[in-house]
Amino acid sequence: MILKRYIPIAIVAIFGSLTLSAWFIDNETIETFANDDATQFFDIIAAFAVFLGALNLLKLQFIKFIKKQKGWQYSAISIISFFFAFTIGFFIRGAYFVEDKVFFTEEAALESLITVDISKGQQEPSYKVQENSFKDISDAKNFAIKQNLITPVDWGAHVQKNGSLFQWMFKYIFSPLSATMFALLAFFVASASFRAFRARNFEASLLLLAGIIIMIGRVPAGGLISSWMVMYLIVLVSGLYIHYLKKKNNVTIIFTLAGFILVTIAGMITGWPLDKPSIFYLPLLQEWIYLVPNAAGSTAILMGIGLGIVVTSLRYIFGLEKSYLGE
Amino acid sequence: MNLDKKYTTYIVGIFLIIVFTILLTMLPSSINFFKEEKSAMFVLTLSVIFIMLYEIRLTKFTDKLPFLRSIPGLKAIEEAVGRSTEMGKPILFVPGIMDMNEVETVAGVVVLGHVANMTAKYETELDVPVARAIVMQAARQVSKEAYLTQGRPELYNEDMVHYITDDQFAYAAAVNGIMQRDEPAACLYMGKFFAESLLFAETGNSIGAIQIAGTGSQTQIPFFVTACDYTLMGEEFFAASAYLSQEADLIAGITAQDLIKVILVIVILFGTVSRALFDLGLVSFDFITLIGI
Amino acid sequence: MMIRKLENLIIKVGDVDRRVIFVLIGLAVLIPLLTPVSLPIRETPTTVKFYEGIEEIPKGSKVLVSFDYGPSTRPEIHPMNVAVLRHMLRNEHKVYISCLWPDGIYMALDALEDISDEFSLKEYEDYVLLGYRPGAEAVIKGLASDLRKVYTVDANGKFIDDIEMMDNVKNLNDFAYIYSGSAGYPGTFEWVKYGGDPTGVRMSSGTTSVQVNEVIPYVRSGQLIGLLAGMPGAAEYEKLVESPGIAIKGMAAQSFAHIVIVVFIIFGNIAFFLKQKKERKYSK
Repeated sequence: MILKRYIPIAIVAIFGSLTLSAWFIDNETIETFANDDATQFFDIIAAFAVFLGALNLLKLQFIKFIKKQKGWQYSAISIISFFFAFTIGFFIRGAYFVEDKVFFTEEAALESLITVDISKGQQEPSYKVQENSFKDISDAKNFAIKQNLITPVDWGAHVQKNGSLFQWMFKYIFSPLSATMFALLAFFVASASFRAFRARNFEASLLLLAGIIIMIGRVPAGGLISSWMVMYLIVLVSGLYIHYLKKKNNVTIIFTLAGFILVTIAGMITGWPLDKPSIFYLPLLQEWIYLVPNAAGSTAILMGIGLGIVVTSLRYIFGLEKSYLGE
Repeated sequence: MNLDKKYTTYIVGIFLIIVFTILLTMLPSSINFFKEEKSAMFVLTLSVIFIMLYEIRLTKFTDKLPFLRSIPGLKAIEEAVGRSTEMGKPILFVPGIMDMNEVETVAGVVVLGHVANMTAKYETELDVPVARAIVMQAARQVSKEAYLTQGRPELYNEDMVHYITDDQFAYAAAVNGIMQRDEPAACLYMGKFFAESLLFAETGNSIGAIQIAGTGSQTQIPFFVTACDYTLMGEEFFAASAYLSQEADLIAGITAQDLIKVILVIVILFGTVSRALFDLGLVSFDFITLIGI
Repeated sequence: MMIRKLENLIIKVGDVDRRVIFVLIGLAVLIPLLTPVSLPIRETPTTVKFYEGIEEIPKGSKVLVSFDYGPSTRPEIHPMNVAVLRHMLRNEHKVYISCLWPDGIYMALDALEDISDEFSLKEYEDYVLLGYRPGAEAVIKGLASDLRKVYTVDANGKFIDDIEMMDNVKNLNDFAYIYSGSAGYPGTFEWVKYGGDPTGVRMSSGTTSVQVNEVIPYVRSGQLIGLLAGMPGAAEYEKLVESPGIAIKGMAAQSFAHIVIVVFIIFGNIAFFLKQKKERKYSK
């Protein structure tokens, strides 16, 4: 009970209060603890916990693979990928420099240094490294190594050196896979918005309208749509709405025609400027939506979330919330 | 308790906190350890603590729980567990992709505890893939306790909470794979999310699962709202634990939160009016500058 | 008869399988990328503000550029980071590069390679690649108090004290400007909260389109001087710095994709209303 309940609550209370007080107390020790040490403690614990996670991952994938459970083929890929990345990261330097050139293996780097000399009259070829000639290839290799003609990349730096095997893996395997997953969003955004953006009621219609304005106004194509075209569109949609309300063709026609004429006269007077009146120009309208109603709403949500986080954190610090301990 | 007395206590309490803060700033520099520029924040923090503790104290004198409005998303959790039980399919719980240092992850793990209680009760399969090893440990502890509380320790299996990877999109791919293969009847997303939110929600939608999301990640709320059946937005998500446990202490915390919000709205309105009057030259002091925001 | 047929067709379109939408979106993106279409780009005020913010930095200043993104968000953030580096180097600033994301270092290396020949870049003269340090906001807090606490060596393992460019750089206060190309956590938020705000150093950011919603209040409050908002922001900025790149090229693809989505939404709504009308008719 003491170990599982009181000690964890005490740890949360002490360290939580200490971190909170660092905001208000002008003391270097407390500030250093809150700003640097505490976060580093967490990072160290998290880094070691990765081993725990990795072991769990391997255990489950091996079980799945050995028992040939549903989707065991994916487990095989996971296991192979795990060991591939692990080996490249921990056991293979993967970058050997010969002047400016870089090779994945030491062997490849050596081969680039050695030239085979097959002169006429010679029964066996000789191996040249710089100006030195050797009969045996292994002697040539030893010479190249002894002369430090090959510079292996430092351990640690090998994961970020341009041209290294690890970087190759990052560039040609990890990057495309990550980018593919992210790119899926474009497709999912399309299908989700197609399904969800329905003018079911007034609020949903507003959301739909704002969504369309942002989507079109945000891209260059939106800049090509003149504010006059938007005005004509508004007149047309309003006409349809009036028809829906009144169900009288005469009223609809008169309203729509009057609207068109008014917009046309206004356009002829002002000379049809693309972005005037700016309220109907989509790029400017979307900017306004972003900066005014959207900013107001998101600030309010942000404040709510902030307050929620503050109160929740205080509940942990005061030991009122114990569910995270399983209670 | 008389409402007037309650609010009088708050007004007096906050007034005393302000006086205390002013006194702190006036201490001689040799013993002054207080950061003066953080005075407004200090007053707010102490006020939050004071109101919260006082609200909790008030619950001790009454048998009636403070009113908490119904949150459809939380009500739907039980429905989702019931549906999974009927269909004989598992429940997928995703506690976000961040570590335990994120309050949202802790809130997600807390909700997991309640969900595990229900799955233990209804004997429903629970699957919790996690993106952080520390979260895995915490989630296991919470789930285990839930199964023990329900008297069903034999149903608990440590591997129902399993680690996948720290990498955002690799995790998303793995969880999507689990969804496609196992076709859970319900998918719950509770925690901190980034771009992977829509990948989860759309895949969940394509397999016909009932989906409930809860997050404080402002940018992801629209995605969840679009693709999920229910979404707990920001504060609702943090109130989940109080709502699900129906514990007076926790609900009192939510009441305190609402009170603080009212105070903040008053401060904002006062600040806006004062600033407008100052800019118009009608008054010589500006409240916003005065409190150092 | 014709109208009824058309109505039925639209209702069918409204129930279209999502894979059809996927194919059309794919084509809308692919075709403009293969056959480039040039569209006029109009700068938005937030981008102009961002540009002017960098222009206002006195020539030859020290600027900190942070690469806080990975390969997944590279198409959105990388073009703006390359353009920012171009702009800064053109104005003869000394660039210091940090990374809060482990993959950020690769992004930084790529960006430097992209512009290396154009500016005949010399490491330790034009720029210092500080590299990645784990700790997210702790790194920023460390940079704000004492840079050497966080970085004892640079990305190449060279001691910071041995680098001449680092001589008078003690903490964030020694920089004239901070820029973060950010795709999430840790990124813009953390830089504002622990970097820009406490030190008072002017800063700005480039973010993914999704994040704009969340970050925009900081632009309004002046905590960020302008903002590069997603790929359109990057394209506008490329136009402003007069170095057209991948973002401008991608604008046609993005435009077409947005149009396809809007068309689907409109059709979806028409279908929704027709369906409702039909249901009402049959329920009577």
